[in-house]
Amino acid sequence: MSVDQHPRAGGAEGAIDVDDPSVPQFDLVRAGARRDGVEIVHYAPRFPVRGTKVEKRIERTIALLLTLSGLFAFGGVAAYIFWPFQYEPGPSASKLFTPLFGLGLGGALFLLGLAMVVYAKKLLPEEIAVQDRHDGPSPSDEQRMTSATLLNMVDETGIRRRPLLKAAILLPAGGIGVAAVAPLIGSLLKNPNDGHILLRTGWDPANNNGQKVRLTRADGTPIRPEDVSVGGQMTVFPGIPGGATNQYADSPVLLIHLREEDAATLRANIEKAQQTNSHPPVVQGMWGNFVAYSKICTHAGCPASLYEQQTNRLLCPCHQSQFSITNQAIPIFGPATRKLPMLPLELEDGYFVAASDFLEPVGPAYWERP
Amino acid sequence: MTAPRQRRPRLLSLLRRPAGPRSRVRRRLGAAVRLGAALLIVGGVYTLFAPGTGASATDDPAQAQAVAEGRELYENACITCHGRNAQGVPDRGPSLIGVGEASVEFQVATGRMPLARHEAQGVRKEPQFTRDQARQIGAYIQSLGGGPTLPDPEAVPNLGAGGDPARGGELYRVNCSSCHSFGGGGGALSSGKSAPGLEHSTDRDIYAAMLTGPQNMPVFGDNQLSPQEKADIIAYIQNLQEDPNPGGWGLGRLGPAPEGLAVFVIGIVALVITTLWIAGKS
Amino acid sequence: MSAARKRRRMDLARMPGAVAQGVDERFQVATPLRRLINKVYPDHWSFMLGEIALYSFIMLLLTGTFLALFFDPSMAETTYEGSYTPLRGIQMTKAYETSLNLSFDVRGGLIMRQMHHWGALLFMAAIVVHMFRIFFTGAFRKPREFNWIIGLLLFWLGFFEGFAGYSLPDDALSGTGLRIASAIMLSIPVIGSWATTSVFGGEFPGTEILPRLYILHVFLIPLILIALITLHIFLLVKQKHTQWPGPGRTNHNVVGVRMFPNFGMKAAGFSMIVFGTIALMGGLLQINPLWLFGPYRAEVVSAASQPDWYVMFLDGSTRLMPAWDIHIPIGDGYTIPALFWPTILLPGVLTILPMLYPWIEARLRKDRQAHHLLQRPRDVPARTALGAMAIAFYLVLTISGANDVVAEKFDISLNAMTWAGRVGLLVAPPLAYYVTYRICLGLQQHDREVLAHGVETGIIRRLPDGRFIEVHQPLAPLDEHGHPQIEYAGAPVPKKMNRLGALAPAVRGFFFPVEKPAPPTPVSPTPVSPAVAPAELEESREGR
Repeated sequence: MSVDQHPRAGGAEGAIDVDDPSVPQFDLVRAGARRDGVEIVHYAPRFPVRGTKVEKRIERTIALLLTLSGLFAFGGVAAYIFWPFQYEPGPSASKLFTPLFGLGLGGALFLLGLAMVVYAKKLLPEEIAVQDRHDGPSPSDEQRMTSATLLNMVDETGIRRRPLLKAAILLPAGGIGVAAVAPLIGSLLKNPNDGHILLRTGWDPANNNGQKVRLTRADGTPIRPEDVSVGGQMTVFPGIPGGATNQYADSPVLLIHLREEDAATLRANIEKAQQTNSHPPVVQGMWGNFVAYSKICTHAGCPASLYEQQTNRLLCPCHQSQFSITNQAIPIFGPATRKLPMLPLELEDGYFVAASDFLEPVGPAYWERP
Repeated sequence: MTAPRQRRPRLLSLLRRPAGPRSRVRRRLGAAVRLGAALLIVGGVYTLFAPGTGASATDDPAQAQAVAEGRELYENACITCHGRNAQGVPDRGPSLIGVGEASVEFQVATGRMPLARHEAQGVRKEPQFTRDQARQIGAYIQSLGGGPTLPDPEAVPNLGAGGDPARGGELYRVNCSSCHSFGGGGGALSSGKSAPGLEHSTDRDIYAAMLTGPQNMPVFGDNQLSPQEKADIIAYIQNLQEDPNPGGWGLGRLGPAPEGLAVFVIGIVALVITTLWIAGKS
Repeated sequence: MSAARKRRRMDLARMPGAVAQGVDERFQVATPLRRLINKVYPDHWSFMLGEIALYSFIMLLLTGTFLALFFDPSMAETTYEGSYTPLRGIQMTKAYETSLNLSFDVRGGLIMRQMHHWGALLFMAAIVVHMFRIFFTGAFRKPREFNWIIGLLLFWLGFFEGFAGYSLPDDALSGTGLRIASAIMLSIPVIGSWATTSVFGGEFPGTEILPRLYILHVFLIPLILIALITLHIFLLVKQKHTQWPGPGRTNHNVVGVRMFPNFGMKAAGFSMIVFGTIALMGGLLQINPLWLFGPYRAEVVSAASQPDWYVMFLDGSTRLMPAWDIHIPIGDGYTIPALFWPTILLPGVLTILPMLYPWIEARLRKDRQAHHLLQRPRDVPARTALGAMAIAFYLVLTISGANDVVAEKFDISLNAMTWAGRVGLLVAPPLAYYVTYRICLGLQQHDREVLAHGVETGIIRRLPDGRFIEVHQPLAPLDEHGHPQIEYAGAPVPKKMNRLGALAPAVRGFFFPVEKPAPPTPVSPTPVSPAVAPAELEESREGR
């Protein structure tokens, strides 16, 4: 690095007379920098000889970049105003609206940035400057004066020799603090035990004036056994007002029509499970070869919907939990830990109904889950 | 009065059998004749009224031709695993009785059958037969055991015509997207199986797949998803296939995973190269 | 001319000076302004990564304002009657409907949405890349520990801001994410069910969550983000940027270029380039195609469901966690669901540990000094290997978050991917540690070797006795034993002949390398301000 000596700098560095009007501009710059702790050790224009071919070429390059940037910008605006934009299905010119505008705007910004960087790298003078960090703690005299001021503050309040006040201040400090957050937290708080949100679903007969709730499609039509093919599944909802909407987001159920052998396997497994004294109790929820499981995965609540009809596995696409349909939807792989609740099925007037609500909470587990 | 009885017409007297017990031989013969007559009557009634599985084969010469050609193709390519008369070979290929024309057309026209090897599932590959040949094999299998069929392609050139894509979209999202993904890109199933992408699926293939539930796909019979609903779904899938992305290149429509990759591979790489240029000494 | 009419002449040339004078009379800006202009910034490409995040943030604010003018976070149901025919007549929330309107019925709405989303992904990507740069070069050490903590907070704030942002349109993909978020809250021991019902205002999904997320997303979190970013930059300016060791650089100075015009122009140019990149991506690469997802319904889910990439590592940890519920048999029996560990505990640990790391490392190294010189990653092999371990851990989790996409695209069994992730999570980090450590040691040794023996010139010489030797160029004058007297100084050691000289490539050009050495840069004995013409300067010289 080169340390430049200014012949007229009064001999020593920095000893120029700032108020002297005949001092060259750069001397003032240097002096000011020195005051700010910055030493400009190398400063040179890239092209000390003006008007060389190289310099002109760079200027032209920058001008070209700027021109292109402007063209892109105006092109983008023109596309924005005039290009067709209305959606039509299938290939149409309007599908290019966003790419064209993006190309125009993005190209303009990008080229402008390129121009600015080329200007900075090629035309601005090169320099090397060194600045003192002045890091480390403040000077010790400053530290002492400040700490004395702070301590004096404490003494002035006299809090040290007023223990009664010291104790008394705690009450409003805590109280007002609590009072400030109480409305926010209190209004947000909602008791999950109100209405047994986590324990009841739309299948509870209480939602239907005490009558058993029918299984329906999304549009509300009830379902007969003939409506589901063997080896097929259907997503069904409670047949109550709003039953197929997100209002009853814990209620969608997967109704599966098993093949004869698979249904027999499931029935046998349910019987076996009924003999153990499990809680909640296992009921024979099948009707014929039909079984209905809650669609809400017991891991994190996504709908477990990938039904593999030959391996009889139900895969949840979110975290890859797999449930065995022929064994009470017990998880056999993945992070889920509990089986999907079974909805007990019955037939009334030829249509499927839920004999009761689920016998265990639907969906993900929680601390006080029974 | 006995006198008028003797003046009966001769025809009737011929028909009337002579009085007295019949001989054993005559009794046996009569029983055989009665049995044979009864069988003929029942068989004739059945033939007249039973749904003809091969009835069209005998009625329609073109169909009979298709069945014959199909049988030839079957016995060349399929019989090793699916056995004679499509009865199946243990540990090699299941019986095809009752799978229907639609199922065969789907499996063969998409190249899944003949299987290259036994693996987690048969995948779509270069078809060994043309669609017409696939339909012929299908006709043969249909003649053996019946099953679901697709409408004639000349009669219905696009099974998605008249479908409502909006309704189809709703049905697709509830029933199909969990395996085939929202954009029809396909998805993974357990243990090496997968639901294929739908980018190249024709309307007949989609209909057949819904109808027959190939491999691990659930069966969506016409009782569950009516033909109109199937047409709606096909119309929606055709929209997915034909509608270009309005926002630029779709990155495969696989969701946030390729988007995250793109921001690093395209965005960060480009910007880091730019920083190398900006702060470089050149 | 009437004497009564006095007109002040507008002297345009004098106007800037007059304005400056007026401002200074009121605010005394002369000294602080010059101090700001003269601030020195060191010049290295890796110092610009944080700027990518800053400029992306600005872009997010601008595009977000546009979007907020058209978006309605209400969860009231409505029927769509807009331009996108495959969704006409479908029931959906107003949030989803206004998002569709932005995509199809507001001119330029789609590109604004896409710029906003790409900007968010780029913001988080830049933060991660910047954070790793800080870590690997030791820039978090005293006195910058607090800035490090602010940076980690910025990452998590960006995380939640992004999550809230992509959940606002109420599409099926992000709605599924919200469902998982409610399950995560449910899994918190003791207070889980209360937390979930309080946040959602009842049962999932309720009608409160989107308006609440909206206020978080457009007001509360941006407020905190702006405050923290300002503090982050203020601390950077106050403490001055760190620098690499090199000629003339000590722990008590900063060598570089002053803010204006050099650094400022480059920074401004880079900002335009970042804006341009976001605009180009927003226009040319489709992201988050809401119309294909459909409105959120509890029974709808898609294969290939992932959160945005910066959340994907948590999706991965959730997928890999084995099915281990903890049952506490007290009273009615309590459960700590398996979901708690990968989604609450793990991110908690991943936040606290890095926050404490500057002090942990200082303690282990017994290092209480302030450090303003950066360390090359190879010179701190333990830290670099630890960072590589963290990256391996993070990558296994992120890839596992997309394991169904990987399984489907590369024909790998999904179950095998899950097991590979579980095993890889335990095996890959220690492996990465070991390999990185050895590589760092190797690089250090090579540096010492070149310092001790010189640069390989590639010139082979045959000695009279038949041996071949390669001629080495020593890097310092030789001592009496023939060894160069030079110590490792923490700066890159030149390993090739064309790097000798100024410790910078003598090969000219970034785009067009030329095999000639660069002409010596003209060092004028009399530095001049470019504003002064040489002739003028000559004149002024003559006058003295």
